[in-house]
Amino acid sequence: MDDPKTRDLVKELVLRLVAPVDSPSSVADEVPRAISFAHRLLSSRMAPSLAPDELAIAESIKRHLAASGRSSDALAFADLHTELSARSSGPGAVRNRWALLYLLKSLSDARRRDPLLHSTGTAGLPSLPLDPQPSHQLPPAAKKTLPPSGGVLLVSKDPENIREIALQKYADLVMDETEVSESALVRDILFVCQGINGRYVRFDKASDCYDLPESLKLPRSMRTIVRKLCELGWLFQKVRCYITESMSCFPAEEVGTVGQAFCSALQDELSDYYKLLAVLESHSSNPIPTPGSISGVPGNYLTLRRLAVWLAEPIVKMRLMAVLVDGCRALRGGAMAGAIHGRAQHGDPLVQEFMGRLLRRVCSPLFEMVRSWVLEGELEDTFAEFFIQSQTVKAESLWQEGYQIQSAMLPSFISPSLAQRILRTGKSINFLRVCCEDNGWADAATKAAADVGTTTTRGGIVYGETHALEGLVIEAAKRIDRHLMDVIHRRYRFKDHCLAIKRYLLLGQGDFVQYLMDVVGPELSEPANTISSFQLAGLLETAIRASNSQYDDRDILDRLKVKMMDHGDGDRGWDVFSLEYDARVPLETVFTASVMKKYLKIFNFLWKLKRVEHALIGVWKMMKPNSIISCIFTKEGAAVKTQFVSVLRRCQVLWNEMNHFVTNFQYYIMFEVLEVSWSQFSEEMNAAKDLDDLLAAHEKYLNSIVEKSLLGERSQGLIRILFVLFDLILRLRSHAERWFEHIFELQVRGRSKSRTKMMGAGPWFVGGRKAMVQLAGEFFGRMGEDLDKIAKEYSASLDDFISQLPIQQHVDLKFLLFRLDFTEYYSRLVPSK
Amino acid sequence: MPREIITIQVGQCGNQIGMEFWKQLCLEHGIGKDGLLEDFATQGGDRKDVFFYQADDQHYIPRALLMDLEPRVINGIQNSEYRNLYNHENIFVSEHGGGAGNNWASGYHQGEQVVDDIMDMVDREADGSDSLEGFVLCHSIAGGTGSGMGSYLLETLNDRYSKKLVQTYSVFPNQMETSDVVVQPYNSLLTLKRLTLNADCVVVLDNTALNRIAVERLHLTTPTFAQTNSLVSTVMSASTTTLRYPGYMNNDLVGLLASLIPTPRCHFLMTGYTPLTVERQVNMIRKTTVLDVMRRLLQTKNIMVSSYARTKEASHAKYISILNIIQGDVDPTQVHESLQRIRERKLVNFIEWGPASIQVALSRKSPYIQTTHRVSGLMLANHTSIRHLFSKCLGQYEKLRKKQAFLDNYRKFPMFADNDLSEFDESREIIESLVDEYKACESPDYIKWGMEEQGEASVAAAIDSKLVV
Repeated sequence: MDDPKTRDLVKELVLRLVAPVDSPSSVADEVPRAISFAHRLLSSRMAPSLAPDELAIAESIKRHLAASGRSSDALAFADLHTELSARSSGPGAVRNRWALLYLLKSLSDARRRDPLLHSTGTAGLPSLPLDPQPSHQLPPAAKKTLPPSGGVLLVSKDPENIREIALQKYADLVMDETEVSESALVRDILFVCQGINGRYVRFDKASDCYDLPESLKLPRSMRTIVRKLCELGWLFQKVRCYITESMSCFPAEEVGTVGQAFCSALQDELSDYYKLLAVLESHSSNPIPTPGSISGVPGNYLTLRRLAVWLAEPIVKMRLMAVLVDGCRALRGGAMAGAIHGRAQHGDPLVQEFMGRLLRRVCSPLFEMVRSWVLEGELEDTFAEFFIQSQTVKAESLWQEGYQIQSAMLPSFISPSLAQRILRTGKSINFLRVCCEDNGWADAATKAAADVGTTTTRGGIVYGETHALEGLVIEAAKRIDRHLMDVIHRRYRFKDHCLAIKRYLLLGQGDFVQYLMDVVGPELSEPANTISSFQLAGLLETAIRASNSQYDDRDILDRLKVKMMDHGDGDRGWDVFSLEYDARVPLETVFTASVMKKYLKIFNFLWKLKRVEHALIGVWKMMKPNSIISCIFTKEGAAVKTQFVSVLRRCQVLWNEMNHFVTNFQYYIMFEVLEVSWSQFSEEMNAAKDLDDLLAAHEKYLNSIVEKSLLGERSQGLIRILFVLFDLILRLRSHAERWFEHIFELQVRGRSKSRTKMMGAGPWFVGGRKAMVQLAGEFFGRMGEDLDKIAKEYSASLDDFISQLPIQQHVDLKFLLFRLDFTEYYSRLVPSK
Repeated sequence: MPREIITIQVGQCGNQIGMEFWKQLCLEHGIGKDGLLEDFATQGGDRKDVFFYQADDQHYIPRALLMDLEPRVINGIQNSEYRNLYNHENIFVSEHGGGAGNNWASGYHQGEQVVDDIMDMVDREADGSDSLEGFVLCHSIAGGTGSGMGSYLLETLNDRYSKKLVQTYSVFPNQMETSDVVVQPYNSLLTLKRLTLNADCVVVLDNTALNRIAVERLHLTTPTFAQTNSLVSTVMSASTTTLRYPGYMNNDLVGLLASLIPTPRCHFLMTGYTPLTVERQVNMIRKTTVLDVMRRLLQTKNIMVSSYARTKEASHAKYISILNIIQGDVDPTQVHESLQRIRERKLVNFIEWGPASIQVALSRKSPYIQTTHRVSGLMLANHTSIRHLFSKCLGQYEKLRKKQAFLDNYRKFPMFADNDLSEFDESREIIESLVDEYKACESPDYIKWGMEEQGEASVAAAIDSKLVV
């Protein structure tokens, strides 16, 4: 159009068309209008609804000519057309042949339909109507003088048409009934749609809506349609109100980035809406044709009904927005995104598409948070909108308590398991950073991002591509977790420490435990408050150096410490002594204070068991084979000898029973509890993919030991009996010490007869041989009584213990029972009772 | 405080099996023939200081005392490639080197003569240890030196180190072939008395059974001493594995023996080992599982003590205790299953007068020795059928004694001077009472045994009713 040549041509065309019809005086002011009109037409890119098919149009012309009996013309046309086509490449050739043909055809068609034009004999071109004024404003009389109106292809009407006059009259009648013209109402509504009171339509605070005043005379249908359209205004105001409110309190926390994104998305939607209003505004300036005058005005005028059509879609959208605004008013962050997502599940593709657009915007800050959390471990959440929240905690509890999922902030399109994974991944990064002082995770994260194909830059993930998010999270989680496991296992030697704990706190290193028992034992018999833990630490070091532990890693040994528990009056060292293992950061995450407490409990139990075993071995050593020579008594002491043999054998049998119990209990602890739990644990440890798995495996391991070694809540009855048994064994030990001291003295005395004179003057040596035998008899009697008492209590408690074993439901103790009663010795005893 | 154990090897047989034992130990710990740690022996986890100590130049020296009254065997050791292993101060060979002439009395008497020298050596070794656990004596009971001098040593050790353990590995003579030592029954009886009274634990190594095993299990037509000795060393090293590879339990000799010997007198242990291999012998490799090993260990053909029991008596025989030391790659969970199967099939008869069970100790295998079997096991058992071995000894003694044969050799020595043969009678009495005690253990009324003749109802009544079935 900018080509001056084209412009001149158009101008000339207009002049030619306009001039011959009207008086030259009017031409002067009509021409510019006509020209601009022509320009508009040409630039409008309007096209007939036909495919630009040159051959088809040529064919149709030929057919038309042939049909009207002008076959010679048809042939001439065909020749001309061929010639035209042949010259298509030369200079001055017609490029747009199809358009040319179409124009010619249109002209010929028009002439045929319009005899009026036909008769005027002008150069075949229709004349242009000069008065585009809205026809209804003209007096009906003037109408008749009007030239045929219409565009290029318009079919002009008969000016004498009576029907048209009747319609015009009806329109005038209607106009009389209404005080307000429709176009005024249209304009009002357009105002209302922008939240501005119109001339007639105003906001009624009382009923909270836009309405026309009752006084206004208006047909009911119009009133209804106005009211309907005014809803849009009401909705608009609500939305705009929300936006301005949110924006105005921006830095405040209530809005947050998600809220901002939401507002801006709404704003964008509104600006689309504004554009529409602008167009409508321009349309509204076109007059509404009165019935019958339609032919004279451009088509894009606005009536209320047209407006209703125009605004149908905006109303739906606005209604949605208003609903969202209402729904989200109190919400923030993830919760807001979730709420919006909740409404996006809609069957209407329009709504779905609209919500999708909105959500993409709303979720982008959220996804950005996820991205930076998962890949960088950064919690960029100034407004507490993310579904992960951090707390400032000490390094050792970072993993357990440092980060939490805020379920309220978790949008429903992120599944809880995915959220868990997201949480763990970022947590792992932070854990690596804070507790492990490790930087290798960054590589892992980069690799993960590269693998997924998402760039690590912002805006990588958008709403709707949940699988992409999931992909990223899973990949990142996989890599980070693997890296974390690697760090824990390789750099912090998790398994080594677990083994060390098993060896030292769970007494797996037998020789060490033995020496410790040997060196610490005498010390621990003292009252607890007189024992210096400093000295015990020295003894611990001695035990380490004496045993194979000396070859252990110094790092591990340094973590092993003596711990004295709180003690009350009368507590012996035995009651308060324990060992402690300092796991240090980051392994403290696994070996937390509560975990170590459990270990401590197990240690105390095992230590007690060892002590009892130690005591029993001590008794055995007193009566070991080559210490007891029962042939010390000669004939005169035969009765006493029998007594001695009897009491000794009872002692041995009781010892055997106790030893059987203690050893088998230990075998049970070793095979069925410690080793089995350990082998399970190490399997799970190797299979653990992330720190949570590892924690769970360790927890399981520890709990299984606690439960199976009867330390659980529900085994309290059993453990009480067990401790009674232990106490009886320790009592036997202290009695035995006294008894055998006497017996050894007796032996010395007995032997002294065959050797030289007796030396020393113990109680046994006063008086003659007879007195000694008598004393011995009395002593054996007392010893027998003591022994029987212990034996009786012991067997009663043992019966109790064994009878309770099968009743235990929560833990499988049949292994223990099986071992204790391997020869069915006890089950054979029961029926005899 | 490694709970040291001092090994004393006396006599020809004692030194031979001792030698094999130390060879085996060196192999298992990666200690070279000169006592230096091999380069590959870095895996650790083993405890060498129970049986060895380190000299200033890092040499590992066995806590061993070698004694003999004749120089042949010890000279052999001193000329072998292991000559630098031992501490030369710990070797005692009688000056005149004439041996004991297979005479217990001679050995005993000579022991008495040199007791100061010997005990000096013992004391020096004992002082060199932080917390001496006890002594292990290797000897045979049939010859002169091992039996006689060994007996004297047992008495002295018991006297001087009464708080320490004394364990012996005693080789019993082969009864199947006629021995060149005609006075074997006398020597055995006299030694048995000391083993009963002065030892805490006697591991019986029956040459008869060892030969039988070599023939039947290893398919050797005429087993040499070296071959039977390697069986012995296998048993000895296996029975000490839990001391050398510490674990949760059974880390000391006392703990090990205490459960095996509930009644002090009955301290004679049988052994069994499976699967057996002998050096240079290509053996078929079979699948070894814990159950398999434990079941084989209970079979009499694998037990290294001959059973002279008649069928009826054999059915009465009972286990007082069993300890299985399982070595190798074992899943602890298998132990329970195996025990269950053994109980279900009633493969073991235990005493009825008290609770008992098969104890299982798991132990590591030396990483330096390649074995074809995944699992191997040693059984230490206290079984009443061992009394038949003693009865057999008694029987042979009676036969000889009735004929008053060869007694002159003994009368030459102070103990039997003036035709005082009361030592023989006393020994016989003690062995008889030992046999009786084992027999009593087979009955559920063991606790009342020995009391009946006095008719002391009060004693029986005082006994805990529960223990009387």
